[in-house]
Amino acid sequence: MTTTPDPTVFVVDDYAPGRRSILRLLRAAGLSVAAFASAKEFLAHYDPKAPGCLVLDLAMPALSGLELQSILAEKGSLLPIIFLTAHGDISKSVQAMKRGASDFFTKPVNDEDLLAAVRVAIEKDRGLRREQDELIVVRARLAMLTPREREVLEYVIAGRLNKEIAGDLGTVEQTVKVHRARVMQKMRVRSVAELVRLMQRCGIGGTVP
Amino acid sequence: MVLTSKQRFVTIWLLWWPKYFRGGRTLKLATRRPNSSGSTLLEITRDSSHGHKTVPGRAGRRYLYQRTVRRGHPMSWVTIVWSMNAAACLTLAGMHVVVWGKGRAARANLVFAVMAVAVAALAAFELALMWAKTPGQFGMTVRWMHVPGWVIVASLVAFVRLYMRAGRRWLAWTVVGVRTLSLVLNFVFSPNINYREISGLRHISFLGQSVSVAVDVTNPWTLVPEFSLLLLVIFVTDAAITVWRRRDRQALVVGGAIVLFVVLGSAQSILITWGIISMPMTVSLFYYGIVAAMACELSYGVIRAAALTRQLEVSEADLRETRERMELAANAAELAVWMWDILLDDVWITDKGRTLFGFDSSEKLNRDRFLSSMHPDDRELVLKAVENSLCTGAEYESEYRLVLPNGQLRWMTGRGHVEFNRNGQPVRMRGASLDITKRKQAEEQFRLVVEAAPSAMIIVNTEAHITLVNTQAEAVFGYSRGELIGYPIEMLVPERFRSHHIGYRRSYFDDAQARPMGAGRELFGLRKDGSEVPIEIGLNPIQTSEGLFVLASIIDISERKQAELEAARRRNEMAHLSRVTTLGELSGSLAHELNRPLGAILSNAQAAQRILANGDADLPEIREILDDIVSEDKHAAEVLRRLRLWLKKGEVQQRPVRTNKVVQDVLKLIRTDLISQNVTVATELARNLPTVTGDPVQLQQVLVNLVVNACDAMADCNIPERQLLICTGIENGGGAVIVSVTDRGGSIPQEQMEQIFEPFFTTKEKGMGLGLSVCRTIIAAHRGKLWATNNPDRGATFHFTLPIAASERKRVINEKLITDRR
Repeated sequence: MTTTPDPTVFVVDDYAPGRRSILRLLRAAGLSVAAFASAKEFLAHYDPKAPGCLVLDLAMPALSGLELQSILAEKGSLLPIIFLTAHGDISKSVQAMKRGASDFFTKPVNDEDLLAAVRVAIEKDRGLRREQDELIVVRARLAMLTPREREVLEYVIAGRLNKEIAGDLGTVEQTVKVHRARVMQKMRVRSVAELVRLMQRCGIGGTVP
Repeated sequence: MVLTSKQRFVTIWLLWWPKYFRGGRTLKLATRRPNSSGSTLLEITRDSSHGHKTVPGRAGRRYLYQRTVRRGHPMSWVTIVWSMNAAACLTLAGMHVVVWGKGRAARANLVFAVMAVAVAALAAFELALMWAKTPGQFGMTVRWMHVPGWVIVASLVAFVRLYMRAGRRWLAWTVVGVRTLSLVLNFVFSPNINYREISGLRHISFLGQSVSVAVDVTNPWTLVPEFSLLLLVIFVTDAAITVWRRRDRQALVVGGAIVLFVVLGSAQSILITWGIISMPMTVSLFYYGIVAAMACELSYGVIRAAALTRQLEVSEADLRETRERMELAANAAELAVWMWDILLDDVWITDKGRTLFGFDSSEKLNRDRFLSSMHPDDRELVLKAVENSLCTGAEYESEYRLVLPNGQLRWMTGRGHVEFNRNGQPVRMRGASLDITKRKQAEEQFRLVVEAAPSAMIIVNTEAHITLVNTQAEAVFGYSRGELIGYPIEMLVPERFRSHHIGYRRSYFDDAQARPMGAGRELFGLRKDGSEVPIEIGLNPIQTSEGLFVLASIIDISERKQAELEAARRRNEMAHLSRVTTLGELSGSLAHELNRPLGAILSNAQAAQRILANGDADLPEIREILDDIVSEDKHAAEVLRRLRLWLKKGEVQQRPVRTNKVVQDVLKLIRTDLISQNVTVATELARNLPTVTGDPVQLQQVLVNLVVNACDAMADCNIPERQLLICTGIENGGGAVIVSVTDRGGSIPQEQMEQIFEPFFTTKEKGMGLGLSVCRTIIAAHRGKLWATNNPDRGATFHFTLPIAASERKRVINEKLITDRR
């Protein structure tokens, strides 16, 4: 794992006093914070690689919280969003959660609740990033497979016996075995089950029934 | 022989009398000579050349002028003249006796007649004198002549006194006395008072005739009658002077004639008596002149009398006609003309009057009878009026009721005038009475109408005194009639308005029209107990014969005001209710506006706690945190305050309101909702907008409603199209501020343009549909208007106007603030 910068909590709220108070709170809890007065401002400074989470107000002029959420999703952002709004509208909150928000609070919010959610979000973010990193590694390894090995991989995770794979691919069992060993080696897995899990995690395979 | 001039004159006159001188007729004129049986003939022959010649007459009997004498005694000029004289006198005497007979008061005429007769007698005596054959005859005749002479003198004096009303009394009596004495003496002396003795008779020629003249010795006592004549002259002259002084021209002519002839006659008689001249007495001729003058004078009197009689007849005819006309007019006008003879206590009245008063046509009427025909309650007043007129001579005036025999009542008015005699006693009263029942009935009707009127009626005269009130007026003001009538109207006006009311009243009287009073002002009346009552007043001028009156109709509007207050209260309640429900619709605002500061406070405080727990307390930072907490708390308090205001049902305020501030407040209030609905708001607020008067909360309510409606209308639009525009400006007329809220949603169907303002009309699933109707009520209460229009491209605009406060209007006009309207 590469050394990542400390996770930052991004706070976006158009209400200045509220923004300031959240900042103070988070800082007092030892977190790094960055504050933006509007969604546009945040987007301007958005760095997908920056870890952390987003504390977002719902009702903002120009670009609202939900809209920002959509935009970030389009961008493929992993940043977990915690909504913090003064306006407790049920339909909006449901919408927010459906779209994948991490949490939803109404102001005034208790500091413990918020901080707990932030930590969870940071953890989630870390996890997500780790996953993402892992995925990159796996893809790199996959890329090193020859096409034949790739095919064998597919059949292996499908649970076929070597004999069957040989028959499907039109080659002998021994060849299959060799390919299999190389796949295992290249993919750095010790068992087929691990390979299957890995592939599942990365969302690869399934092309062979 | 030589003709006397008299003869010549007569001749020439006769010559030219055509009847007798056609072609050569001969006129023969005979004159008698005394003591001769012959006559002197005078032949006059006329030939074609108009000449004439005289032929001396020859004695002896010749033709006599047949025209003048038929047969018998030859007539001479003397006879003719004296006879004519006597005849004329007698004729005149006869005439004037008749005149006197007609009216015994014409004593002058009688006296004149007597004198005329006496003159005639005198003439006869003179004739006898001239024909006297013996001195004895002569003397006797002279003696008897004094009798008519005395009569003449006495009657002359009497005439002067009676007719000319002049001449001193004592002088008159003296003249008559002296003459009487002379008459007595005349019969004492022999032969008479004039002559001591008459020795013989001479004959002289007089008028172509031989007449006797006395050869005598004068009696010294003849001075007596002569003295009387002198006195007569003096008396008459004195009378004439008196008349002249009186400038009575007619009488002066007579007087002058009398003086003249008396002087002449007296002079002649004196001269003859004293033998200074030798001629027969022709005194009677002179007195005939007087008679003639007197006769003329009296004849003028007769003529005048005839003229006067004619005039009188004409006047009488006129009078009759006038009287008839007057009666006709009086009857037509229901007028009864009467005359009361006070001394006899007898009243004459026209027939119409009898009918009016209910008297019989033949009843005898006096004062008491009149009084008895009147209503008992009115008798006293009438009697007093009558007595007053009789004492002071003032015109009699009264009004009273008659009780007719059939029980009917009749209103009469009487006017009269008293006439006094020389001693100041009232002798007559003339007057007229008029039936005024109709007028009284009209007045009564008017009074009833005023009485029955549902509003208070007060009639005021030009001096601002109350002259009539009705029961309703008593009720409204709490006074009784007697406490109002005759008193100034200002007693019913509250003190603070009194001075203004006096001025207003004066200007109204200058140009009195029927109109309501005090347009645009609140009017109050002052009750007896000192409380004030809100009233409405209508003014009506009434022009009568007694001057200008003003009828004020007054309505107590306290109930109406109460009802108005009640209605206003209900309106307020409605508005409040609407506000509360609106707030419910504004789901975003309340929670949001409060939660933000509250959230900031909590987070700040908890942050501070952590900081302190961490141990690295940074005092400046703590201070900042605390500052923020405090300001956020105030913010929250402010929000709550506004909310409280919004929710309050309080009294409707009438404050100066800045419209732009209302817009801004509203935007603050609903900002969240606008954001959450993604509506963008643009404003075009006119600068220096004048203030309006009203309730800021209610006006905010209206604007909130309109904005919420606009947002709802745009809910189906795409987000970029959700645009709202709020404009403020001044209406073109310059009298009001106009606010418009424009959206880009759907249009309002034309048939619903007015319907949308009705209560319970809504096209939304939620909401009661009260919003717009309450808005209209609020705007109407602010004396403005609320309406909607469709935009040309898309969406609708709602406008409302608010009248500019009066104090601001001038400023607006001065600065010419009229913004362009979209």
